[in-house]
Amino acid sequence: MERYLKAGSSFVRRQYMPHLLLAFLFCLMSGFFVSFQNLEASQAAKVMEMYFTFTGIILLTPLFLPEQNKEIWLLERSKAMPLWRLYLIRILLAVILLAAVVTFFTQLMQGSGSVFPWGQLWWGSFTEIVFLGSIGCFVSAVTNQVILGYMVSVFYFMANIGASKYLGKFALFQMMKGEYGFVPVMFAAALVLLAGGILLRERVK
Amino acid sequence: MFGTLFLKECKQILKSMVYYIYVVVFVMFLTSQLSGEITQKLEKPQPGQESYGTINSQDESDVMEKELAELVLETYHNSYTTYPLGFYKGVVLNEEEIARVTSIIENCTGKSWDQLIKEMETHYSDYEQNSIQGAMQAQIAYSVAPAQNLSYDEFLRNMEEVCRVVGAGSSYQRESLQAGVSVPMTYEQAVEEYEALCSKDRVTGATARLFCDYAGIVLSVLPVFLGVTRCLRDKRAQVSQVVFTHRISAFWIIGSRYCANVCMAYLPVAVTAFVMQMPYQYHAKTIGVAPDVLAFLKYSVIWLLPEIMIVLAVSFLITELTENVISIFIQVFWAIVSLFSMVNLKGGFGFHLIARWNTLGSTTQFWQQRQQLLLNRGFYFALSLALAALTVVVYEKKRREGGTVYGKIFKGRK
Repeated sequence: MERYLKAGSSFVRRQYMPHLLLAFLFCLMSGFFVSFQNLEASQAAKVMEMYFTFTGIILLTPLFLPEQNKEIWLLERSKAMPLWRLYLIRILLAVILLAAVVTFFTQLMQGSGSVFPWGQLWWGSFTEIVFLGSIGCFVSAVTNQVILGYMVSVFYFMANIGASKYLGKFALFQMMKGEYGFVPVMFAAALVLLAGGILLRERVK
Repeated sequence: MFGTLFLKECKQILKSMVYYIYVVVFVMFLTSQLSGEITQKLEKPQPGQESYGTINSQDESDVMEKELAELVLETYHNSYTTYPLGFYKGVVLNEEEIARVTSIIENCTGKSWDQLIKEMETHYSDYEQNSIQGAMQAQIAYSVAPAQNLSYDEFLRNMEEVCRVVGAGSSYQRESLQAGVSVPMTYEQAVEEYEALCSKDRVTGATARLFCDYAGIVLSVLPVFLGVTRCLRDKRAQVSQVVFTHRISAFWIIGSRYCANVCMAYLPVAVTAFVMQMPYQYHAKTIGVAPDVLAFLKYSVIWLLPEIMIVLAVSFLITELTENVISIFIQVFWAIVSLFSMVNLKGGFGFHLIARWNTLGSTTQFWQQRQQLLLNRGFYFALSLALAALTVVVYEKKRREGGTVYGKIFKGRK
C-alpha cells in the first residue's frame, strides 16, 4: 500500500500539480460565470454540463504525460510494479477528485435554494465529466501526444453544442433536456476508454 | 538564413498530425455553418413580405416596448442574462424577487401579470415554434406597450430598480438601453439596406463578413494547439540543448517558428475562403452586381490574421515560459469568455478577441462600426508582435541561464 501511495504522491508533486492548481482555479472562478442560487433541475444541469465538464479534460487527459518521454517509460517498465497499476492509481486519484468536485458543487447548489433530483444529477454530471476526460485520456494514450488528447476532447465538447443530436447516447448536455437515459451507456464507454488507454500504454513499445 | 529556417518549420508543421486535425476541424466547421442557402437571403426585398429582418433603433418608445418585452420573457422563464464582469452569467430569482419584478412590469405596462402572459402566449402561438426561423420571427415581432402615462424617465427609474434585483450587468442598465434595441425593418429600410449591400459590399463583402464571423469562433482556439505543439517539440525530441548551442540568434529561431506557424495556420483559412466565395461571386453576377473578387482575402487578412497571430503569440509565450500545455486552457478559457461576453452577435467589437458579425448584410451599420473593428484588430496585431518579441527574450534567457519560470517555482521539490 505504501508503495502505491508513494507512486501516486510522486506523480502529483512532479507532474500533476499544475493541472490540479488549474482545476482548483477553474472551480474557484465558477462564481463569476455561473449562478448556483434558486435553480431548477434543467438550470442546475446546465451549470454542471456547460461549466464543470471541463474539469474532466483538465484532470484526466494528462495522466500519461510523464511516459511520453520514452526513457521514463522504459525506466518505469523495468521496475517491479506493473505499469497498469501505476496508471490505475493516477486514474483513481483523478476520478476521486472529480467525484469531489461534483459532490461539492451539487451540494452548493442544493444549499443555495436550487431544487433538483440530487442523485440523478450527481450521477449524470459525474458520468459526463469522466466520459469527456476519458476521451482525452484515450486519445493521448493512442497518439502518445497529450496535446492531441486535449484537442480532441475540447472539440468533442464544442461539437456537442451544435451537433449533439447525431451522437445518440454519447451526446453531452442531455440532462439540460431532462434526459438521463444516457448514463449507463456513457459510463460504460468511459470505463472502456480508460481501460483501453491503460492497456495501450502498457503494451506500447 | 531566415528563409531556410522558415521553410524547415513549414515542412515540420506539414508532418504534424495536429496540423491535419486543425485543417479538418476548420473546414468541417465552416462548411457546416455556411451553406448555399444563404444566397436566398440576398434576394431583393419585395413589398408585402412577412419579415424584412431587424434594424437598430434608439427611439425611446421602441426602447421601452422591446425592453419590456424582454423583461416579460426573462421573468416568465425566470432566467436573466447578465454580464457582471463583462462575462455571461445567468441569474435565477427567488419568489420574493420575482414578485418585485412582476410588480415593476405591471407598473410600467398598466396591465396585470396574468394578462401580459396571456398576450405573450397568444403572440407566440401565431408563429411556428419548431423552426428557428419561426421562433426568431416571433421574438423580433414581440413587443410590450408601456402604459400611456409612463414617461421615459419613469421607465428608466423602474429599470434601475430591476437592475438592483437582478444584479449588475443586465440589459436593463442605462448604458445598455442607450445602445438601442433591434426592431423589425420596414420595406423602405430593407430596400435601402439591399442597395447598400450591392453597392458597398458588392455581395461578396457581406458574405465575407459572415465567413469571418464563423471562422473567428473556431480560430480563437485552434491555432493554440499548433503553437503548443511547436514549442514543446524540441523538449519532446530532447533536442532543446542542441538548438540552444546553435550560433543563430533567438530572434531568428523564434521569428521563423512564429512566422511559419502564422502562415501555415492562415493558409487553410485563405484556401477555404477562396473556395467558399465562388458561389457568392456567381450569385452576385446573376443579380447584376460586379462582385468584389478579393473581398474574402481582404476581410480574412484584416479580421482573422490578427486573431491567429495573437492566439499563436500567447501560446508561444506561455509555453516557452512554462514548458507546459497550460496555455491550451488559458486560450480555451479566453475564447469561451470572449464568445459568451458578447452582448449581441453583430458588432460592438470593443476589444473582444472574437469579432462577431453574425448576419448577412446590415451594411450601413457595419460601415459605421468599421473603425471600431480596425482599432480592435490593430490592437491585437500590435499585441501579438509585442508578445512574440517577449517570447524571444524568454527563449534567449532560457538559452543562457537554463530553466523555466515553472521550473524555478518548483525546483525545491523532491
